[in-house]
Amino acid sequence: MNNRMIRRHGPGGIFIHWFNAVCWFFLLATGLGLIKNPDLQPLGPWWPNFMNSLFGGGETLLAVHWGTGAVWAGIWLIFILAGLLRYTAPFLRQIFSYHLSRDLEWMIKKPFQMILGTKAMAALVRPLGWDGNMPEQGFYNVGQKAAAVAMAAGGLVLVITGVIMTLSKYFLSPNQVPMVQWSITIHFIAAGLTFGVLLIHIYMAAVSREERPAFISMFTGTVPEDYAAHHHGLWYEEVKNSGK
Amino acid sequence: MKTQLAMVIDASRCWDCKACMAACKTANKVPEGQWRNWIKSVDLDLVEPGGGRLIFQPGNCMHCSEPLCIKACPTGATYRNEADGTVLINRELCIGCGQCLPACPYGARFRHAELRVADKCDFCAERRAAGLEPACVATCPTKARAFGNLADPESEVARLLKRNESVQLVQAKSPTDPNIRYLGNPGRTDWPVEAQMPSAFGFWKNVAGPVVKIFVGFSALGFGAMLAKQLFLPDHPEEDRQPEEKRHE
Repeated sequence: MNNRMIRRHGPGGIFIHWFNAVCWFFLLATGLGLIKNPDLQPLGPWWPNFMNSLFGGGETLLAVHWGTGAVWAGIWLIFILAGLLRYTAPFLRQIFSYHLSRDLEWMIKKPFQMILGTKAMAALVRPLGWDGNMPEQGFYNVGQKAAAVAMAAGGLVLVITGVIMTLSKYFLSPNQVPMVQWSITIHFIAAGLTFGVLLIHIYMAAVSREERPAFISMFTGTVPEDYAAHHHGLWYEEVKNSGK
Repeated sequence: MKTQLAMVIDASRCWDCKACMAACKTANKVPEGQWRNWIKSVDLDLVEPGGGRLIFQPGNCMHCSEPLCIKACPTGATYRNEADGTVLINRELCIGCGQCLPACPYGARFRHAELRVADKCDFCAERRAAGLEPACVATCPTKARAFGNLADPESEVARLLKRNESVQLVQAKSPTDPNIRYLGNPGRTDWPVEAQMPSAFGFWKNVAGPVVKIFVGFSALGFGAMLAKQLFLPDHPEEDRQPEEKRHE
């Protein structure tokens, strides 16, 4: 057994991850608080009432939501542009690279493995000609890649619709108002669907025992060598061959 | 005692001088080309053959007891002030999405040309705060408009309604229980325009809302079930871990 640690995340990545997490939850809480219409509010009137009393009124809540959204999007923009070639492009290449048969097999096996255990999963997938070993994965496994795509797309849609809604009051003319109306609806959809994905991400990272080293690496930046070899075999080979 | 501010308008006293419209525009700084109130005219020749006279129907936001505009506002920027029963707009919270505009069957709302937020009659909230009547009421030379608390039996509006027969202008498919009552034959009382819900709002309410709820619900259910399994059931048997250790030892 090998206990050597491998670097997985740099300080920049760790910062943007937790910055994003804090902003996301704050924006989710304040955004949900802004939906005062009972026909649209998914949690019931208690949530907007609670948020309104916490912030001293809907107008303050809106201003805080706008301000936080602007800081969130602004820092992200700086982060993305500052490392356009160094990490942004490689990250995008990573999350959009799929190996169809390998990733499909992983996607089918993983839920069964998590719910039933490896042995039962192996028995279940035997008719498909597979064994109980998980297919090798790169720096991200396919679940992480799909979640990253969903989060990036959701974030982009949230920023665009959020900017349109913010501009409405200051620049947009009456014939651009339908765009604002659809932005509100799409903003809600994007936040809702992304939050659904986020729940899975939080479970996998912070709750599931199997991925605990990945969770710890989000603070320390490093993972144990045997975790890397077991969960991200292709990445581990790369690291090993590059001699780092 | 509950307060319900209301107007009682005697249509037979209105001669279409439009002083109420001018006074409102000045008092509320309403931009050019936009109006918080109006005077509609009905040619009785068309309604009652041989009538041969125009009748005038002054109007503005009806401060409905069942306001449909509130139902179209996502943020609660349009709200009913429980203290006096008026329907108001919080300009700081309104983002000017305009969904409330078609939701009002009376067309009382518009998007303020300068502020780009929803705007309409607020029964002159600023003037009332200073102890004055709404500008249209104060200026009307024939005293066609009366204003006051409907819930107070001693008020002018309540006394007018007690002494006279009154009507509301209502669209059968968009009932709103408006708080402008008309005396003296205001002409047509079945309001012709139906309230419209904007398509983006309807899509959110009927499609996006349920879909997002189901999606997040399943996600949360999975989260909860896996968490419970982890907390209350024993870990996977030892052999689960073996392939990992065999491969890399």
